[in-house]
Amino acid sequence: MNHDSESVISVKNLTQRYGTGRIIYSDLSFEVPKGRILGLLGKNGTGKTTTINILMGYLRPQKGECRIFGEKITEMSPATRSRIALLIEGHVQYAFMTIEQIERFYSRFYPKWNRDAYYELMNKLHVSPGQKISSMSCGQRSQVALGLILAQNADLLVLDDFSLGLDPGYRRLFIDYLREFAKAEEKTVFMTSHIIQDLERLIDDCIILDYGKILTQMPVDELLRDFSRYTLQTDVPVEKFSADSLFVNPGKIKDELEFYTFKPIDEVRAALGSIGVDSGSLARQEMSLEDAFIGLTGKY
Amino acid sequence: MERALIFKEWVKTRMVFFISLGLAVCIGLYTVAMMNRLIELKGVEHLWLIMLLKDNTFIDMIKYVPLLVGLAVGVAQMAPEMAQKRLKLTLHLPYPQRRLVGLMLLTGLAELLVIYLVQALIIMIYDFRILPSELVGRVMLTTLPWYFAGFTAYLFVTAICLEGTWKRRIVLSLLAIAVLMMYFLQPAPEAYNGMLILIIITVVLLTVLSFGSIIRFKEGRQD
Repeated sequence: MNHDSESVISVKNLTQRYGTGRIIYSDLSFEVPKGRILGLLGKNGTGKTTTINILMGYLRPQKGECRIFGEKITEMSPATRSRIALLIEGHVQYAFMTIEQIERFYSRFYPKWNRDAYYELMNKLHVSPGQKISSMSCGQRSQVALGLILAQNADLLVLDDFSLGLDPGYRRLFIDYLREFAKAEEKTVFMTSHIIQDLERLIDDCIILDYGKILTQMPVDELLRDFSRYTLQTDVPVEKFSADSLFVNPGKIKDELEFYTFKPIDEVRAALGSIGVDSGSLARQEMSLEDAFIGLTGKY
Repeated sequence: MERALIFKEWVKTRMVFFISLGLAVCIGLYTVAMMNRLIELKGVEHLWLIMLLKDNTFIDMIKYVPLLVGLAVGVAQMAPEMAQKRLKLTLHLPYPQRRLVGLMLLTGLAELLVIYLVQALIIMIYDFRILPSELVGRVMLTTLPWYFAGFTAYLFVTAICLEGTWKRRIVLSLLAIAVLMMYFLQPAPEAYNGMLILIIITVVLLTVLSFGSIIRFKEGRQD
């Protein structure tokens, strides 16, 4: 598949540092295909928000090129910006406006503005149109931000850590609305969240970032199908498994060894046999996306 | 879109605008009342004599009002943009970014202009009733640098608020103090007549500061 013609976001050889110090990542390349919901996952400090800041033009990359809808992000036109809905970390909005004022304000900028989508969500909050956003709870503010995104009816949604500060109910509400909207309208979504279990219900593809690099980029269902967690009862020291790249992030508590791998169980048994380990107690465990994330990035 | 952008600026600043307008009007009226009282006690000739012989324009009360108003409107307008980096939302709007920043500044400057004009008109209308046009001109020319100090303060505050790094904020603040002090060094009436063009050029050039702060913000130069 020619990604260039299908990609909504294209990032090539992106390199970024904290000032002139520690490198956040080097030569990072990825693409976000049209109509997909992609989650950018990574531990704190791996550069998720940095990536969004670069993509939205709030940080000049030290090296590399980013394009959205084929346009260089450093020269993004107002017309292209109108096709992108942006959720800033913490559901930041113009808190000095009221529910009614903010809807009227944004409606002037977006030709496909859908007022009903916004007020449908606001009606669930039991707040008056004259209520100031600054006087609302974090959860309510998140719904205002979501309502504005839905009303904008953009082709690309960029959401930075939408779950920050939300209780489970509001997180669920946010996800349900967003998923229904994105799937029904074939929107492309690029998002981050520090609560990975939320994303499992939402995203099609994931990019898992580690310090300085991408560990994997693939559809979530493929990751959960091909990447597995195994346990094994053994007294062999864990260092023996660390030497083989087949065993990803091996760890041991007492005599129970735990490791992750992309290899099928037959290959795992063969690899264990080749280092003289009895695979009689080898067991494959069911995994969630969070388990897979931990498996790839490690617990520390 | 322009109306929406102006509306946003208005929502942020309207309370400060009305408070500032009220303050400017009250101090303008108080100045006028003081002059009126002097005329009632000693006659208008006495007022003229003091103005001519003692270089008194009776408007010292308003000296720092435009400066305070400029600072207040600037903070009210730009501080909410920088709180939680809301400026990102503004810069993401589908509107040419330079024009957007220009419109924000124009809105703030227009609010200041209204406040200053109302205050100046109160004094001017009264002065025209009691003073010859030469003396009214003298009073107005004396106040002009103070009003320009207000515009200057506003432009510095907007640039400082929009600036992303503390180091640069401190440098801009020190520069602002140095420039603003220049407007108040000479207490004599019409002391700045020969510099008015220079003052106007300074104010025009200072508009560039906020654009520079925005460019640095977009480059990621933020603490």
